[in-house]
Amino acid sequence: MAESEAEVPKAKPRPIVRLGIFLISHSCLFSVICCTAGVLTLLLLPVLAKNTYISENALMPGSANPMFSSQEVSEANRLVKSLTSLDSKPVGSGIESQRLIAEYMSDLGAEISYHKFYPRSNQFHPLHFFSYPDSGSTRENVSCISHGLNTVGIIRAPRGDGKEAIVLVTPYNSLKVGPGEALSLGIAYSVFSLLTQVTWLAKDIIWLVADSRYGEYAAVNAWLRDYHMPVFSGLSALKAEICPVSNVHNELKENSVTERKINDGFRRAGTMATALVIKVTDGSEHFEDSLSIYAEASNGQMPNLDLINIVNYLAVHRQGLRVKVEKMRSLINCKWLKILGEILQSLGHVAKSLNPQWKFGIPAKDYVEGAATLASSLYYQALGVPTGPHGAFRDYEIDAITMEISSRVALNNKARKNDFLLRGGRLIEGVIRTVNNLLEKFHQSFFLYLLTSPSKFVSVGVYMIAFALLVASLPVVAASLYADAHKVDPSFGIDKSTPQASATDELSITPRSCKWLNAAKKVFLVHLWGAVVSFLPYFICQIPSCTPTTSFVVWVLLSSFSLPILSLILGSSFSYGRPSQPQKRDWTLLKSVTISAAFIGLCLMSVINFATAEIGALLMVPMCLMAQPLKLDIRSRKLRKFLRVACNLALGFLGFPPAGFFVLKGAFEGFGGITVGDFWSWLESIWSWSSATYLYIGWFERTRS
Amino acid sequence: MEPKEQSKEKKEKLWFWNWVIASVIFRLVLIYFPKNLNLASRPEVSTPLTSLRRLAEGYWLKQLSMSPYAGSMYHGSPLLLSLLGPLTVKRIEGQPDHLLCSLVFVIADIVNAMLIRATGQNLQMEYTRSLKLLDHVKLSEKPEIIPSGDIAALVYLWNPFTIVACVGLSTSPIENLAIILSLYGACKRQAPLAAFGWVIATHLSLYPAILIIPMILLLGYGTDTPPRKLFLQRRNVEVGDNPPNDRCCEREEVVHRSEVPHVFSWRPVIHFFCWTSLWSVYVLVLCGISVKQYGGLWELFKRTYGFMLTVQDLSPNIGVLWYFFAEVFDFFRNFFLIVFHGNILFMMLPLAIRLKHRPCFLAFVYIAISSMLKSYPSVGDSALYLGLLGLFVNELADMQFSFFLFCGYVGVSLLSPVMHNLWIWRGTGNANFYFATAMAYACLQIILVVESVSAMLNHDRKLRKPLTELQDGKN
Repeated sequence: MAESEAEVPKAKPRPIVRLGIFLISHSCLFSVICCTAGVLTLLLLPVLAKNTYISENALMPGSANPMFSSQEVSEANRLVKSLTSLDSKPVGSGIESQRLIAEYMSDLGAEISYHKFYPRSNQFHPLHFFSYPDSGSTRENVSCISHGLNTVGIIRAPRGDGKEAIVLVTPYNSLKVGPGEALSLGIAYSVFSLLTQVTWLAKDIIWLVADSRYGEYAAVNAWLRDYHMPVFSGLSALKAEICPVSNVHNELKENSVTERKINDGFRRAGTMATALVIKVTDGSEHFEDSLSIYAEASNGQMPNLDLINIVNYLAVHRQGLRVKVEKMRSLINCKWLKILGEILQSLGHVAKSLNPQWKFGIPAKDYVEGAATLASSLYYQALGVPTGPHGAFRDYEIDAITMEISSRVALNNKARKNDFLLRGGRLIEGVIRTVNNLLEKFHQSFFLYLLTSPSKFVSVGVYMIAFALLVASLPVVAASLYADAHKVDPSFGIDKSTPQASATDELSITPRSCKWLNAAKKVFLVHLWGAVVSFLPYFICQIPSCTPTTSFVVWVLLSSFSLPILSLILGSSFSYGRPSQPQKRDWTLLKSVTISAAFIGLCLMSVINFATAEIGALLMVPMCLMAQPLKLDIRSRKLRKFLRVACNLALGFLGFPPAGFFVLKGAFEGFGGITVGDFWSWLESIWSWSSATYLYIGWFERTRS
Repeated sequence: MEPKEQSKEKKEKLWFWNWVIASVIFRLVLIYFPKNLNLASRPEVSTPLTSLRRLAEGYWLKQLSMSPYAGSMYHGSPLLLSLLGPLTVKRIEGQPDHLLCSLVFVIADIVNAMLIRATGQNLQMEYTRSLKLLDHVKLSEKPEIIPSGDIAALVYLWNPFTIVACVGLSTSPIENLAIILSLYGACKRQAPLAAFGWVIATHLSLYPAILIIPMILLLGYGTDTPPRKLFLQRRNVEVGDNPPNDRCCEREEVVHRSEVPHVFSWRPVIHFFCWTSLWSVYVLVLCGISVKQYGGLWELFKRTYGFMLTVQDLSPNIGVLWYFFAEVFDFFRNFFLIVFHGNILFMMLPLAIRLKHRPCFLAFVYIAISSMLKSYPSVGDSALYLGLLGLFVNELADMQFSFFLFCGYVGVSLLSPVMHNLWIWRGTGNANFYFATAMAYACLQIILVVESVSAMLNHDRKLRKPLTELQDGKN
């Protein structure tokens, strides 16, 4: 994409060639301008954010009156009460609460099945990114003792064909049902009970009561995996061999009035259109009831913007809830951000006074808030760790969000509680009714966006500008370095040769174009090393019984050993005792190759996970541009050079500790136990860092020579 | 001095074989992790024509005494079916599936590399000889003439594209084998071998049919040399100055000798045609026997060549045709089919006229063009022409944009799976994302062809320069 940019200046037509030569000859200036412009555009993004709008016409949110009434609220209260009364009893509450919920569900006439799952040990596989999630990895080592139990209830839609479904998820800890969890179960139950009666339902409703004993994400992920990968008899036999089928089902069925309705088998209801994770927290808010939306899934994927729009629209305009998305709190009190906001505000005023139609200024407070939200949006996307159980859905191309409803005061007051339940229930009913109108999958609105507030977003077309500006300097600098290296070359060819022999000499000098091969080999070697380093954790994971610290030490040791070994295998390119004359040229070529490799890497990352690429670019672009061999600089003692060395060292330091930090964090969390996708995403981020490390290696190697 | 040089040579040879063995080991290691890589299902690797999975399906149908072409699954040759088919069903306990087929592909790759090496040595001999004839003593004696055969063989073996095509269970190594065999036979001027390779290559994938022009030129004129004009010029120079010494006579003798390969000799060409007709009748008879129950030869042609030429399968691949024909209106379809395939044919004649003194290079250009414009391209085709590119490493040393092309190939080959993932698995992208990389890939190939041809012509010009200077000096 941007690759063509590098090519365009070299293409045949005259003006373009001239433009290219101009750019290449002023590459220093150009790169400085580009970098500053890139950073500035990034800071401007909150101003450039647009208001969200509902793009899919079929949705028609809020067009029908809510049917959710106080009757459903009383049902919810009934369930909450019995759950809490169950909780006060000490014995056997794990299965008891499941059975209770199942009983309630079956009273409504829903199909019920239990889903037993084993929390799987965290498995990381380096190549999973390119294939379907978890394809074929059914043979995991499960611990038979500990298992979780999800309860799944399905309502068949009177008007549907059973091919589509909407999922409600209420994660709760079956051992100890907290008041918030009980309330979320209550809301979901009341909505569920309403939906058994309505006639407009066109999609089946699945209510997944996820057993979050082993983490919310694990439970939902296990259910989704079994939903999408049907287990055939052979495999189930195999599983049965591993773990003798415990008689949980029988245990649950005993004494159950509704025995006939509970199925052993896994119930399905077609493809899922959307999934809503419902959570309730209480007493934390100061002003009014509020709704927090969490949307980031693994690898910085987001659900379709329309889903967030619907929830936002219904919550604000129908239920009067305050909608929040995650913010970076530390940035809100940031001085310079405030000043920047003020400047932008006054600029906006000036522009407005010049021409009343220019409306790009936003109030300083909005700017700071937007920037804080944007920063957290970038941060969570870059991290690649899902912010809730909704992340599991995105791996199966299902749009999902977590809605965390929190009330103003603690819900002891009964009337207050009823009101809260009513609003929550109406909101969810509205969302389901809207999604129910959907004819296809969500596809109309954006998938690639950053939120600056619940109702404002920056689309891919806008934020890519910032990134492209930041990165654009790389190919230009690489081209200019490459041209430089070749300019140095003929001069030393000519000064040796007499004019008569020049023609034949021209032929006999070593092939020019192949000189970069040596540099490419070096860069390839260091990249390979980076890849080896980032794959090592996978093998270290296999070593049984080792603490994070020891495995980390092993990792560091192995990775530092692997570099000399690799260089030994691939034809010792490091041990040249190089004469000083071609050193400079070699260096320029090496830098050029390095920069182009970094450019390719960054462009790739920007496609995979924009936020990581953006943060990586912010760190790596200046580093790539400033890197210089230390020795050459030190030899010529000038203040300017000295400054540059200092700058380089500082940047190197700045760049390396984050790398170390990321790696460290990745290692610890990886061993601690997060899921495949997350660990991969960690590795991804580390991968982008490995391209930073090669720079250091190249750099230090220069320093040595 | 002498033994030292010999030992150096020996060392170099050893070095070459080490790398060859390493590449084989690398492939075997990759074959043992087929599940993780999942290469056989990548659209870049296996096209409807080269996928081994489809071949196994065709073989299965045939075992059930149905037509292997039923259900639009298999579109390859029936000969390949009877050769590779039995291997697809044979399983060895505890070994990965399709192990035998993979081994066949590895062997095909090794044979390919060896044939490329032999061709390269042949070409290099001719190159140094013609340089001597042209009196570029300095050029011919300098030690920097790279052993292009070895380089090309290693480039072929270690090219990630080749490795992926070999491990990814696509039949392209075998198609490549046929093409390289025909080139090798033509370089060695063995008409039966060349004819066999050409007939099989054409039978397997149709597009190598255009290689008949380089074949004829190779058999008629011999391998790549500088333009014939140069030799004439050289002779003029020689005749112009006649200092009476021994060297002159020697040279004249040499010049006379040099004339010999530059006369088009019809004998091998006629041989070639005879053998071609013989082999094609043989292949047709074999095919006829194997598809006799299933509708005969006409059905075979319709299902294989017809499938290739009418682009019926529009599943994504790294070419550009699938997207285009998915978009185009049906009533324009035939027109554009003719345009796209005519494109290859239009370029044949001008290139043949301009590059007639370098038939091997011409073959490279043809293969590159056809792999760009063919209906179901895969990385195996690119592996072939990139390997052949290594044969001209001496001539193309001054190629422009080599670094840019390298970066482009690396970038596109990494970007393409990522875009495919975005489109198919994540659902956040769409077909345009993937098609963009296919377009970038096509552009890269065009730049490669254009630059390599211009570098080759520049090289010829450079060879002429000292001659014209000499001549001007005389006049």
